[in-house]
Amino acid sequence: MSRPILEVRNLVKRYGDLVAVNDISFDVLRQEVFGILGPNGAGKTTTLEMIETLRAIDSGEIILDGINVKANPLEIKKRIGVQLQSSSFFDKLTLSELLGLFGAFYGRNVDPVLLLGEVELQDKHKSLVNQLSGGQKQRFSIAAALVNDPTVLFLDEPTTGLDPQARRHLWGVIKRIKDEGKTIVLTTHNMEEAEELCDRVAIMDAGRIVSLAPPRELVDVLLAKGFKGERIERLASLEDVFLDLTGHSLRDE
Amino acid sequence: MNLKWKLMVASLKMFFRQREAIIWTLLLPLFMVLLFSLADFGGTDRTPIGIVNNTGLRADSVLTMLQRLEFLDVKEGTQHDELSALEAGERDLVLVLSRSNGRTEVLAFGSEARQQAFELASALVQHTLDEVTFQSSALPNRTLLIPRMVAGKNITYVDFLLPGVVSMSIMQLGVFGVAFSFVSLKKRGILRRLSVTPVRPGDFVTAQIVTRLIIVMLQIGLLVGVGVLVLDVHIEGGLAEMLVVGVLGAFVFLGIGFSIAGISRSEDQVAPIANIVAMPMILLSGVFFSRGHLPGVIQWITSFLPLTYLTNSMRAIAMDGASITQVGPDLVGLTVWALITGAMAVKLFRWE
Repeated sequence: MSRPILEVRNLVKRYGDLVAVNDISFDVLRQEVFGILGPNGAGKTTTLEMIETLRAIDSGEIILDGINVKANPLEIKKRIGVQLQSSSFFDKLTLSELLGLFGAFYGRNVDPVLLLGEVELQDKHKSLVNQLSGGQKQRFSIAAALVNDPTVLFLDEPTTGLDPQARRHLWGVIKRIKDEGKTIVLTTHNMEEAEELCDRVAIMDAGRIVSLAPPRELVDVLLAKGFKGERIERLASLEDVFLDLTGHSLRDE
Repeated sequence: MNLKWKLMVASLKMFFRQREAIIWTLLLPLFMVLLFSLADFGGTDRTPIGIVNNTGLRADSVLTMLQRLEFLDVKEGTQHDELSALEAGERDLVLVLSRSNGRTEVLAFGSEARQQAFELASALVQHTLDEVTFQSSALPNRTLLIPRMVAGKNITYVDFLLPGVVSMSIMQLGVFGVAFSFVSLKKRGILRRLSVTPVRPGDFVTAQIVTRLIIVMLQIGLLVGVGVLVLDVHIEGGLAEMLVVGVLGAFVFLGIGFSIAGISRSEDQVAPIANIVAMPMILLSGVFFSRGHLPGVIQWITSFLPLTYLTNSMRAIAMDGASITQVGPDLVGLTVWALITGAMAVKLFRWE
């Protein structure tokens, strides 16, 4: 079996007395979608930002594609694609111009329209970012993270704040990127999203990983312990009702 | 190279697509010059005339009479000084009095560049002389002004103002333009997004600086162009010299702008700091009015302000046609300031 694309060993981040990330270790395998789950403040984003070179590593080691993050951040930046939480872009450039500029950061000549097609925004190539809806902005942000054809794509809470239609649409986009063979690491606190997209999930709480396995396995373990949900399993949820009434089509375009 | 070029093109595009930026940095100074050109602050109600007394008499009768007239602003001086003042456009008329055959002869010098002002002033003086002659028996014969013309310049307030506003707008672009845009990039997380790409902060900042230097040059060209073509401003010196001085000045104020961006967390903090830096200079560096009216100590202290150096050299080039070497002392002052503010910016400016 080939070496994991991302190896995190005994990672620690402290802010004064607070230990935001407390000695966590995990691997991400090639071409998998790896989810980091947890409530707000669990340390998901901090973990991601240390891998992305945005935050200093207090102790521990991160190896991405065989490269040590702490020792060689520039090489890491060339290999990763990052969608930051609520990231924004220059507001007076069109989507095409932005992607062209971001491509230049990596010394690449990108075809903006083709790239926008990947996230179904090809019609918007002449728009400005502030003319986009929330879902479109998130999709554009993913397109910008793809300009360098990254080895690992990092998505930090990509669907937070989106309506169900836009969220499901974004899931479709992420699945397609996965099918093209990309490795994706994402954070979320939406469990349905984790089940839908992730091959494996790490559940974080108070800076630690409390469990790490494929979503189905985690559920089976819980059931094996004799857990019974309070509600009887229903064949449809309120979200299904919502989508049945309002349709699957996107509202933002 | 490709990256630096693309960064520069992108930031130029961003600038020119920002309506507020164009209004504040390019159109406002222009509007200011146009507005002030309508109100002529340079002139006074009284007609400025010079008198050169070559009669040998301490109180020549004609001289005494002219000095009593309230609508005249009479300056007395040597023939050399007064004629230079006339050539520089500071006098409407210079009267040279001399005695011949027991009578006072009056030569009236006017500037060819300001023929109309000369004619008006000499008519006024002649008329007054005649009136007094008829009332008095002491002067039995009419004293006639003998006109003499010299070549000269017609300097208006706009000629004085334009290089001042050019200098001020360079300061505004550096201080306010840079500080606001970088704090905004920082606050909106754009710099953070850039920091996960391999782009070097230095490349990005360089592109921003080069962009602003280009805008400064456009601004100088625009103000001078409109001044000359629309407002009939006289520019004695070269545009090239003005551009050189302007770019040097821009470095000083870009340094201040980046320093302010470094110590401000939000746009709300930028405005007061930038105003504290800029306002005293706008008032004390001779942008709108000559610094000659300032009290001695203040005049001395403010002569070291960067905007004073910039305004002085810009004005010397524009009004007197000074060369780069002639404004050398001002350029040394600007260079020292550029080093100081540059070092400050390096110390205070933070990417995050």
